[in-house]
Amino acid sequence: MSARDRILARLASRLATGADREAAVSARLAGERPDTPRPMQSRTTPEERVEAFIARAVKADATASLIGSMADLPAALADELRRRNLGPSVRAGSDPALAALDWGGVEVSRGVGRIEEPATLSVAPYGLAETGSLAFCSGPENPVTLTFLGETHFAVVRAGDIHAGFEELFAAHRASGRDPRTLNFVTGPSRSADIGQTLQLGAHGPVALHIFVVGE
Amino acid sequence: MTAHEPTSRLFKENVKAAMADPNLQKAMKNAGEGFVGKRRAAAGGVPEFDQIRDAARDLKNHVLGHLDLYLARYEEKVTAAGGHVHWAETAEDMRRIVLDICRSVDAKTVNKGKTMISEEAGINGWLEENGIRPVETDLGEYIIQLRGEAPSHIIAPAIHVTSDEVEALFRERHTHLPADRNLSELSSMLSEARTILRQKYFEAEVGITGANMLIAETGQSIIVTNEGNGDLSQSLPKVHIVLASLEKIVPTMEDAATVLRVLARSATGQDMSVYTTLSSGPRRAEDPDGPEQYHVILLDNGRTEMVGTEFQEMLRCIRCGACMNHCPVYQAVGGHAYGWVYPGPMGAVLTPSLIGVEEGGMLPNASTFCGRCEAVCPMRIPLPKMMRHWREREFERNLSPKAARYGLKFWAAFAERPALYRLATRAAIFALGLMGRKRGRFAKLPLAGGWTAQRDFPAPEGGTFMAAWARAQKVKGAR
Ligand code: SF4
Repeated sequence: MSARDRILARLASRLATGADREAAVSARLAGERPDTPRPMQSRTTPEERVEAFIARAVKADATASLIGSMADLPAALADELRRRNLGPSVRAGSDPALAALDWGGVEVSRGVGRIEEPATLSVAPYGLAETGSLAFCSGPENPVTLTFLGETHFAVVRAGDIHAGFEELFAAHRASGRDPRTLNFVTGPSRSADIGQTLQLGAHGPVALHIFVVGE
Repeated sequence: MTAHEPTSRLFKENVKAAMADPNLQKAMKNAGEGFVGKRRAAAGGVPEFDQIRDAARDLKNHVLGHLDLYLARYEEKVTAAGGHVHWAETAEDMRRIVLDICRSVDAKTVNKGKTMISEEAGINGWLEENGIRPVETDLGEYIIQLRGEAPSHIIAPAIHVTSDEVEALFRERHTHLPADRNLSELSSMLSEARTILRQKYFEAEVGITGANMLIAETGQSIIVTNEGNGDLSQSLPKVHIVLASLEKIVPTMEDAATVLRVLARSATGQDMSVYTTLSSGPRRAEDPDGPEQYHVILLDNGRTEMVGTEFQEMLRCIRCGACMNHCPVYQAVGGHAYGWVYPGPMGAVLTPSLIGVEEGGMLPNASTFCGRCEAVCPMRIPLPKMMRHWREREFERNLSPKAARYGLKFWAAFAERPALYRLATRAAIFALGLMGRKRGRFAKLPLAGGWTAQRDFPAPEGGTFMAAWARAQKVKGAR
C-alpha cells in the first residue's frame, strides 16, 4: 500500500461511511453551497462600486486615478511617471489592450520582470470592490513577475470589470474560461513589519501601486 | 544547523529564562497590543463578522468529515493541471521527497517563502546537511535564519527580535557592505535586506512555499503574504514545491473566500493581505515566466490520527495567530518557550498531538483559562476545552510532573471560572506551602490519597505561574 492509500484508508476508517458522502462532495464541488453570509463591504451597488473600490485600495496604501478611456492611458501614465520622478519607460506584457495604444513619449519594453524594474505596467482583468483588490492572471499578456518586481507597479482595470464581492468575481472568472497558472489578488503595495514590528511599505514587491480605473 | 530539536518538555525552565530575558521582554512589550487593537477594528468593521466565522467553522467541519474524498478530488485536479501530488505520512517522508525533487534538478539553492510545515518537517537543516542552501525570503524568517533560531510566532517569526538586534545582526553578517553605513533608520535595514534577497530570487533553482489553503474544485494552492516573497519564490525558479498539511483543503474558490474574509482581519487587522495567490500546475505552454514544475507535498504527521477524536476541531485552524496575540501567557513568555514549532494556545493543543504527549504534554498547562483565545479564534476552536482534555489525559497517563497532578479533576471544575480559579490556586498554594514548610514534602494530602500512596508530593515553592507572570507584567508596565 502506498503512503497515499494508507492516509486515505486511515481517514476513511475514522469517518462515517455511506454512499451519501460521495454525493455530498460532488454536489459541493458542483457549486451547491449552503447559504453563506458575506460582508456588507461585498454588496455595493453598481453606482457606488468604483468609488468603494478606490476608497478601499487607498486604505490599503495604493493610489488611484480615473481615466475616461484606454486611449487616455499613455498621457495619464506619462504624468504619473513624471510626478514620481521616474524615467519615461515601463515594462509590460503583450496585452492587446496596451499594444493598440499610441504611447507617445513613453517607452514600453515588452517581456518578463528583470532584477531591477523601476516601473511595470499590467492590466488586471478583475477588480474587487469588497477589498480594493486587483486580480491579475499570469501569462504572456501580463507576466506574473511584473506584478512583483516593479519598484512602482502601475495597473489598469476597467470599471466594468470591478466586481462587488468574491462571489461575483469568481463567477466571472469561471465564465471567462481563463485558466492561468496564477490568479494574483493584489491589495496595495508590499509591506513588512518584521523589523522592530513597525510597518513599512515596500518589502520584496513594489513600494508603490498606482491603479488607473478606466471608465467607459 | 540541524533541525531544531523540541524543548517543550522543558517548558517551565524555558518560561523562567524567557521572563528573565530583558531583550525578549522589550520586544514582546513592543509587539503585543498592536495586534489586538487592529484585529478589533477590522472585525468590528464587518457587521457580519461573527456569522462569517460560524460559516467558516461549518465549512471546515464539512471538509474534515469528507476529507478522504476531497483529497482524492483535489489530487485529480492538480494532476490534470500538470502538477504532482506527493503524500508524506511523516516529517521524514517529506524531507526525503523534497530532497529527491531538489536533486532531480541539481539544485544548489532553494528559496523559501514562509511555511510552518517546513519548520515542522525540519526542511532547512536537512537541506543543509545534504549540501543544498535554503534561503528564507520572508524578512522575519530571514532574520531568524541568520540568528540560527526557529520562528517565535506563526505570522511574525521575528517578533522576539528588537530593531537594535536586527541592526547588529546585519552589520555582523552582511560583511560585503561598508562597515560605516548608516542603518539607524528601519527603512535602511529593510532596503538592505530587499537588495540582498532580490539577488537570491534569481539564483535559486527551486522555490518552496507553504499553502494557506488547497482548493479541491480547481487543484489550486493559495498563499497569503504581505511581502511578495512567496510569489517571487514560486515564480522565478524552475521548480515550485508547495508544502501543505493535508487538512488545508477547502471545496471551492467561494469557500476559500469565506476563510479569506476572516483570515487577514484576525491575523493582522487588514481587510485583505497584500498578496493572495491561487496557483495551479506549472507555467502554461505560452507563458514566459513561472515554474516549469509544480509539486505539492501533503503532510500527515499525526493529523489523520486526530480525526474522529476530541482534538479534531484543532484541524480547523487557519494559522492566523490571533490566539497567541491575545494570550497573556504567550505575551509574557514569547514563542520559543513553547519549545517547538507552534506556540501559544494553538501550539499548546497541537504540539502534544503531533510530537507526542511525552514531549508536549507540559504545554497545555500554559494557560490561565481566561478564554480570550477562543473568543477571537476565527474558526471558533474551543482551545481551552482542548487544553483541558490534554491535561486530563496527561493525568491519566501519569506523565505530569508531581506538582501538576494534584487535584486535577477538582481543578478542572474551577478552571472554567477564571476569577475563582485564580483565587483558589493562590489559596491552595499558600495552604500547601504552610503545610509542607517543615519537610518540604507531603506524605499525605487531603483529596490526593490515591497519589500520595505511591510518592511524596513536593511542597509548592514560589507561587503560581499566573502570579509569576502577573509580577512580570507589573515590572514591564513600570518601565
Ligand atoms: S487556533 Fe484559531 S486563533 Fe489560533 S491560529 Fe488557529 S485559527 Fe487562529
